[in-house]
Amino acid sequence: MVMTKRTTLLAGAAIGMALLALSTRIGAQAPAAGAPPAATAKALTSPVTGSAVKGKQLYYDHACYSCHGFNGETGARAFVPNWPANLATERSFIAFLRGRANVAPVQPSTSMPNYPAQSLGDEQAKDIYAYIRSFTSRQPPIDKIPAMTQILEAAQKPYKN
Amino acid sequence: MARSKHVSVGRRGFLKGAATAVTGAAAMAAHVPAADAEAPPQAPRTGTGTVAPPPSPAQLERDAGAVRPPAASGPVRAVVRPGSDLMVQVLRDLGIEYVAANPGSSFEGLQESVINYGTPPNVKPEFITALHEESAVTMAHGYGKATGLPMCALLHGTIGIQHAAMSIYQAYYDKTPALLIAGRDLGFIAAHSANDMAGMVRSFTKWDATPKTLEESLVAIQRAYAEAITPPCGPTLVVIDIDLQKEEAGTLQVPRYQPPTVSGIDPGQAREIAKGLLDAQNPRIAVGRLRTHDGARQAVQLAELVGASTSTSATQGPTSFPQRHPLCGPGASTSYDYTLGLEQPNATVSLVGPSLSTLLSRDPTNIGFGGIAPGVSRAGGAGRGGRGGAAAGRTIDVDAEASLPALIAEVRRQMPPDRQRIVQERSAKHATANQQARVEALRQALEQRRAGWDASPISTARVYAELWPLIANEDWILASPSNFSGAHNAQLWDHNKPYSYLGGQGAAGMGYGAPACVGAALAARSRNQIVVNVQTDGDLNYAPGVLWTAQHHQLPMLTVMHNNRAWHQELMFVEYMCGVRGRGTERGHIGTSLRDPFIDYRMMAAAYGMAGEGPITDPLKLAPALKRGLASVKKGMPYMIDVITQPR
Repeated sequence: MVMTKRTTLLAGAAIGMALLALSTRIGAQAPAAGAPPAATAKALTSPVTGSAVKGKQLYYDHACYSCHGFNGETGARAFVPNWPANLATERSFIAFLRGRANVAPVQPSTSMPNYPAQSLGDEQAKDIYAYIRSFTSRQPPIDKIPAMTQILEAAQKPYKN
Repeated sequence: MARSKHVSVGRRGFLKGAATAVTGAAAMAAHVPAADAEAPPQAPRTGTGTVAPPPSPAQLERDAGAVRPPAASGPVRAVVRPGSDLMVQVLRDLGIEYVAANPGSSFEGLQESVINYGTPPNVKPEFITALHEESAVTMAHGYGKATGLPMCALLHGTIGIQHAAMSIYQAYYDKTPALLIAGRDLGFIAAHSANDMAGMVRSFTKWDATPKTLEESLVAIQRAYAEAITPPCGPTLVVIDIDLQKEEAGTLQVPRYQPPTVSGIDPGQAREIAKGLLDAQNPRIAVGRLRTHDGARQAVQLAELVGASTSTSATQGPTSFPQRHPLCGPGASTSYDYTLGLEQPNATVSLVGPSLSTLLSRDPTNIGFGGIAPGVSRAGGAGRGGRGGAAAGRTIDVDAEASLPALIAEVRRQMPPDRQRIVQERSAKHATANQQARVEALRQALEQRRAGWDASPISTARVYAELWPLIANEDWILASPSNFSGAHNAQLWDHNKPYSYLGGQGAAGMGYGAPACVGAALAARSRNQIVVNVQTDGDLNYAPGVLWTAQHHQLPMLTVMHNNRAWHQELMFVEYMCGVRGRGTERGHIGTSLRDPFIDYRMMAAAYGMAGEGPITDPLKLAPALKRGLASVKKGMPYMIDVITQPR
């Protein structure tokens, strides 16, 4: 039953994710046709040992997308293309997962949840890491986005009301 | 806007429409087994399984509208001038454009008068068919914010009031005027009436009355209107017995309406503030939410008179300073030596008030909703009911808008002859600086919002960015709250009209967006404007029937779904709780997600007769769909675009 639900979610919510053409070998990941290279990102080169395919499933199961978007680039806690230090290596990622708050706050929080080892093992964490390392930036420069150039041009016109 | 006003549907048309709907539904629901989809219509059966008898000749005659009039020998009409006709006349005289309601027998007399009284009937006010009382009142809420004026909603007895309670609460917290009339019928269904029906919502209505006579009813409606528009504005309620609606008015005349007098600053305060603004080298005016469009215009007048740079709350809600006015922004220098707050605290002198805390006597059971009593709020009084933060200067508890005419007059009186040149030079410097600041802020905002531009699901920033060039030259209203959709309009759009953005829900309650947009679209329809509704999916599912109201009344409303298939903030909250308790986040979606199955909003709209398209997952297909939607809305017909989006 759980698997059915996962399959349904992947088939629906992640329709566009097929563009990612995921591979378990991250080094083989190529940007989708027409997508520009990351504009400001410093490409990470640390080793990746997990399975991006398994990581993709885990990324959905744990609803990582809720804060990081479906490709890490949008939402409340985006990390693509400006990768933070805690994502620099598998080791730093796992340390980050384990070091979150473990006391419930008085008020609701949308901070990063805590992931002790009993809730997410090291192997699973490495799989998730492999998946998020597959993310590529999908943001053209502003002058290649017609809507944004129009917005900028309009802002430079005199005010009228 | 070209728009057909036809609304009549004859029996033949009704049956044809039913057949069309069946055909359309079958076409859309391709997964429906053919055997079911093509099953021949069957005669309805009774509970015992026998076939219902065919209609009698009398029934057929009645259905065909061929009912004979009463015999001429008897009394033709017992009541020739029903009391409810006068009630509608009062509404007309007050300028009420719309009366929204889900029908109920306790106001059948009033409803009949709305649709039949006057020449032409059913115009100002026009009866708007709502599918839920909560929708009816939220329509009034949206209309009230779009216009600054009350709209009327009718509620059916105890049950209608309770259905409406949530939306009344939101309007109350949003300080938005609305005129509510509840029908009461003590002799029909006991459960639908009560001795003190208004008591159920007294803690969050501004004023109520249960008049005993027809004349009192007319006065009560006028008083309710006046109370609703007197600051702090809010919803008011009149309970009117069915007998009063149906009784013969005879020669009774509609009483004269006395508009409310709203107090502003006194002449001494006006002199002092005007002097402060004129003596300052770099005055500043911080403009919050005023009450009416006139108030916003007067704020502009004052700022231009003294050459003050201004701040605005136009990106948070209605009726504030135009966001792109040359004086709006940080100005040439941020060293302000005199700041005037208009419904905005923390200034040298702030005109703020009166606040909801002045209505504490309206909380008879001492519930203390939202901590409106001073000192009760957990946020330290920073909520709408409180003053908000530490005051930097002096706060005068007075309505800012009502103070503006005296203040403007005093500035003009005190203005030295040589000051106008200084004001002009300062204004020019502010305009240049504000323009530069605007463009720079916009560049930064665009830089952030191009993130995930080509991603699928579609980024919420792209939804707003693609919308803006299409509507920028239209007279538009963004009536849906944008706080759960990234609030991208605040940076990317220009909010220059008092109704550009109508702000949040009031009390952050869900189920607000679509009905508020319908209310705004009612205002827009008669003002040649269009309404944009960036609609969160969880919010729509509270009372989606309001889409039918939009279609039925042919409202210019473009709905773009922010369909992230979850109550997203709650999903994040629950995930965090799972994390701090170390139990894993895999089940965080339970109770917070809308999946298994996904909801198809294009089909939902189609079921209500509304044109639309989607679900759209390819970002390249978004702009063309928005153009089609806008074309429909400009013709006066609502349109739905289901967009599968990134979570935020």
